[in-house]
Amino acid sequence: MDAEAGGEEERPRDDEILAFHNQIRAADAEKLEFVGDKEPLSVLAAEYASGSPVFKAKVEKLGQTYVAIRRARGDGNCFFRSFMFSYLEHLLVTQDEVEVARVERSIEECKKTLIDLGHAEFTFEDFLVIFVEQLQSVIQGRETSISLETLIERCRDQYVSNYVVMFFRFVTSGEIRRRTDFFEPFILGMSGMNVVQFCRSAVEPMGEESDHVHITALSDALGVPVRVVYLDRSGDTDDKPAEVNHHDFIPVGSPQTTVDPFVVLLYRPGHYDILYTKQE
Amino acid sequence: MLDASRVQKELVEIERDKSLSGVSIQIYGDDLTHMCGMISGPVGTPYEGGIFTVDIHLPSAYPFEPPKMQFTTKVWHPNVSSQNGAICLDILKDQWSPALTLKTALLSLQALLSTPEPDDPQDAVVAQQYLRDYQTFLGTARYWTETFAKRGSLGIQEKLAKLVEMGFSEDIARSALDSCGGDENAALEKLCSG
Repeated sequence: MDAEAGGEEERPRDDEILAFHNQIRAADAEKLEFVGDKEPLSVLAAEYASGSPVFKAKVEKLGQTYVAIRRARGDGNCFFRSFMFSYLEHLLVTQDEVEVARVERSIEECKKTLIDLGHAEFTFEDFLVIFVEQLQSVIQGRETSISLETLIERCRDQYVSNYVVMFFRFVTSGEIRRRTDFFEPFILGMSGMNVVQFCRSAVEPMGEESDHVHITALSDALGVPVRVVYLDRSGDTDDKPAEVNHHDFIPVGSPQTTVDPFVVLLYRPGHYDILYTKQE
Repeated sequence: MLDASRVQKELVEIERDKSLSGVSIQIYGDDLTHMCGMISGPVGTPYEGGIFTVDIHLPSAYPFEPPKMQFTTKVWHPNVSSQNGAICLDILKDQWSPALTLKTALLSLQALLSTPEPDDPQDAVVAQQYLRDYQTFLGTARYWTETFAKRGSLGIQEKLAKLVEMGFSEDIARSALDSCGGDENAALEKLCSG
């Protein structure tokens, strides 16, 4: 009996672990909203003022193309929250009703995929509805229209933000599973998991971080191109001028030449924020 | 705060095919935060033929936080505490997702009964026995199933009703039954002595 009691004491109870997780999240929340304020890019320069020369050179280089940054909270959902805000803000600014209609059709496809994969509709419909509500409210001139300030508030609201993140996680998981043959080699090589295990443990739970696979799947499923700009240590050893690499995630079926992603994210190892491009 | 409409839909879904799935849920009155899950022991395992009850608490952030689940039927299993029924299963912790439901969680518990994971144990003693002396493990697990999971564990509501009829309040009667693994005589003894 003693041994048994001892064995159990070593492991904190589930609710204790969860309470601890929640504590950490609450501490983070005090530091930063889900999405922060738009800040001039100079805040990045200040952040790396005493950092390595590679980073300093790259931040300077970034300044040639980008003007501002909006930070996302580092809680493992930063890619999805950044994507959500960046996309909705773009629609609000451009009033691109054609794009709204297009993405709504993509959402219908995603819904079919999820049902085909055996998800009960009630498990995702509430999340889907909240995202569609946001899509419709950024178009002006309707009773439900909202301002940029309200969009910011909503994207900082735990209920709205988490529901949309969860919808994106469903969509991402659905796309990966729908195209198992395409995704499985990447996933196997990266994680040693099969597609179903990967979706269950690295896509569907809140707080699981996103990488190439997630971004490709979400971008493809919704038909929204995404640019990811990398601020990392690469090119450290060369003495040629630092280059800032970026990768464009172009949805399958898009005409490559015409696409210039309007969702632009800054990636630093383990984290995504939103970038704003200089207007010409 | 609890997403009651979602919980209602989940209950409907579970009720619809409970005879096929082997898992079901009973609710206590109108309270959607506390319920009782039932899992039939998988065929071909030492749990076969048993009905295992699970105490379920839904936190207010459900489905963004996992349901709290704990066996109230005593189970001899590496990933279940033989003392208090606490369960070691990733989806009830950090691997929980709002894409899962009470039904999928109960089905995962059923799957856990079929495929123990002794390398990630909840109960070190059971896990050691499982790894070192599998035959003894099987025997004990079967004996526990016979003793605790068969003798009318289905009728937990009836037992509760009986105790209430004797004059004990429902809450007290339930917690006595819970703490005695559903054994009504032990529960009655406990109630009378306390």
